Amino acid sequence: MSRPIPLHELGDREYIDPANQACQGCGGAIVSRLVSKALGEGFVRAEVACCGPAFMNIRAPSIYVEVFEGAGALMTGISRGLKRIGREDVVVMGIIGDGGTVDIGFQGLSAAAERNENILWVCYDNEAYMNTGGQKSGATTPYAATTTTPIGEYSRGKLERRKNVPLLMAVQGAPYVATASVAFPEDLLGKLVHAKGIRGFRYIHVSSPCPTGWGYDPKDTIKVARGMVQSGLWPLYEVSDGILRLNYKPRELKPVREVLKMQGRFRHLNDEEIERIQREVDAFWRRLVAKDGGEIF
Amino acid sequence: MGRWEVMVGNKAIAYAAKLARVQFISAYPITPQTSVVEYLAEMVASGELDAEFVNVEGELTAQTAALGASAAGARAFTATSGPGLLYMHHPMHATSGGRFPVVMAVIHRSVKGMQPDHSDMMSQRDTGWIMLECENSQELLDTGIMAFKIAEDERVRLPTIFAGDGYILSYTAEPVEIPSQGDVDAFLPPYRSNYPLLPGLAEEARRVQMEQWGIGQDPQLRWRRQQEAMEAAKMVIREVNEEFYKWFGRRYGNGLVEEYKCDDVEAFIVAMGTIASTARAAIDRLQARGRRIGLVKLKSFRPFPSEEFRRLGAKVRAIGVIDRNISLGSGGITFQEIRSSLYDLEERPRILGFHAGLSGKEVRVGDIEMICEKTLRAAKGEGPSSLVEWI
Repeated sequence: MSRPIPLHELGDREYIDPANQACQGCGGAIVSRLVSKALGEGFVRAEVACCGPAFMNIRAPSIYVEVFEGAGALMTGISRGLKRIGREDVVVMGIIGDGGTVDIGFQGLSAAAERNENILWVCYDNEAYMNTGGQKSGATTPYAATTTTPIGEYSRGKLERRKNVPLLMAVQGAPYVATASVAFPEDLLGKLVHAKGIRGFRYIHVSSPCPTGWGYDPKDTIKVARGMVQSGLWPLYEVSDGILRLNYKPRELKPVREVLKMQGRFRHLNDEEIERIQREVDAFWRRLVAKDGGEIF
Repeated sequence: MGRWEVMVGNKAIAYAAKLARVQFISAYPITPQTSVVEYLAEMVASGELDAEFVNVEGELTAQTAALGASAAGARAFTATSGPGLLYMHHPMHATSGGRFPVVMAVIHRSVKGMQPDHSDMMSQRDTGWIMLECENSQELLDTGIMAFKIAEDERVRLPTIFAGDGYILSYTAEPVEIPSQGDVDAFLPPYRSNYPLLPGLAEEARRVQMEQWGIGQDPQLRWRRQQEAMEAAKMVIREVNEEFYKWFGRRYGNGLVEEYKCDDVEAFIVAMGTIASTARAAIDRLQARGRRIGLVKLKSFRPFPSEEFRRLGAKVRAIGVIDRNISLGSGGITFQEIRSSLYDLEERPRILGFHAGLSGKEVRVGDIEMICEKTLRAAKGEGPSSLVEWI
């Protein structure tokens, strides 16, 4: 299991250049900085279609291919290729969006996990296809308004539940699976450093709020991300060799209402809908707490 | 010295990969390719071949994983057929765009039905891959080895397909000479990428990366560079073909096209793949009857040897082109490209197009004799000046 690592423990050195093309307040850009900081030197980065090219200020050798669905295969190839040229010491990492992870890239993700490829998959999850302007993905929180689940007389936003990919990966038997949030950098850094030391398939799914798509002031990214965790909308946990551990376990969760109301995508929700979300969040949290410290299956 | 073995075409392909000491193989089954990766799996399982063998979950992944392995600096190989090749279309552009010298065997299967034609590869013609067509199992083995040397040449750095007709070659056994590993090692040294995706090479890697993405430069530049590499490949293919001949005593024309009995002819026909074998028999018979017609086998479909066809076209009065393919709404693909190649000649031969063997329709020696007779009539100025016919 991981242990939280404060940023200063990793020294002053940054592994990204000072500027990028991301939107103000981009959660993904924070993920990029923290990932590169945690991995330091000695990693290479794979990238497929997503907002990722906007964070190309990471200094590590990077490869970008316009194969949206191909992250799992691309990282597989790089990892096996490096092994063959005698460079297994190099960490193969991808910062992949939620579309490239839970939707179009899921087949390759699942297969890479099945093969237990020696790769580190970091999903930065902004809960929609933000690079194309915010269309619904399999990671979008239910009831959210997106450009393809707009609010109208016949629509109340996204109806489907989230695809819970971290748990799917854990059930597939991946050696290390974790959720994380940009609002909890010590937790995220700890998980990244821990994952770096493990061989095999590692999966870290990071909640990365998107002010542009979620409809809040860019200065509030951390506030929104923290609210998602504190309300149980985005629980922080890790699964190491089949054992689940909750990393953030308050005595009481905050009501979801507060964090939902900070976001334009949930502005349309009525009391009844918020109540329904609250019940679903509570039920999932109960199940997680029951599993805490035990085997997930 | 090599040794002889009776083997099917798919085994010859597997031997090519083995002798090339591929370091990475992505495998996914599809008829009629499947036994290629089965043979390779056995070679890896028995320790005959030391390589990463990855059972992927689809052809798209097979291609993308091979791309990744090549980017990391390993010699990567995969193989597919028909619909599997179509499924690779999207990453194939990325492989050539990134200038990754992946080598792939294509065992032709029509995109309509299970039987062979060239519609699978022709559907990928603009993906920026070198495409070398083979006529028999020996040629598959030899071309497979040459493909790595061509693809990895610093002047080229392009992914390369070597292809043969499914069923006709894939499952048909014939004697094949397997070159010795020592000779192949001398002919084809281990792959050393100058651009591996590695820390410590950040600046150079980034330069290549930026060129690959078209960032900070003329956005057309990478297209232009790739076309220049294709042009350079014509020379490299010829060189590699000659060097192969010095080592192994076999060559395939000049590597781009192969002339068969083309001395002192008034016309020739053009064919790709196994139809060329059938055509050899037809040419033999016709020449025995005094007909002055030869065969030009098109081996390198990409890069397309336009200069060769200008040179050859200047010597004859008619050309009959057999296409085991069609660009629907336009016509036979090699017919059009050869026709276009001849445009700059002062005196152009007549050119006739024939569609034959699509979806595995049988092409007999008699069919080709008929094609030859029509081409000869055109050479004498009889009949229409241009013609397209379905055989």
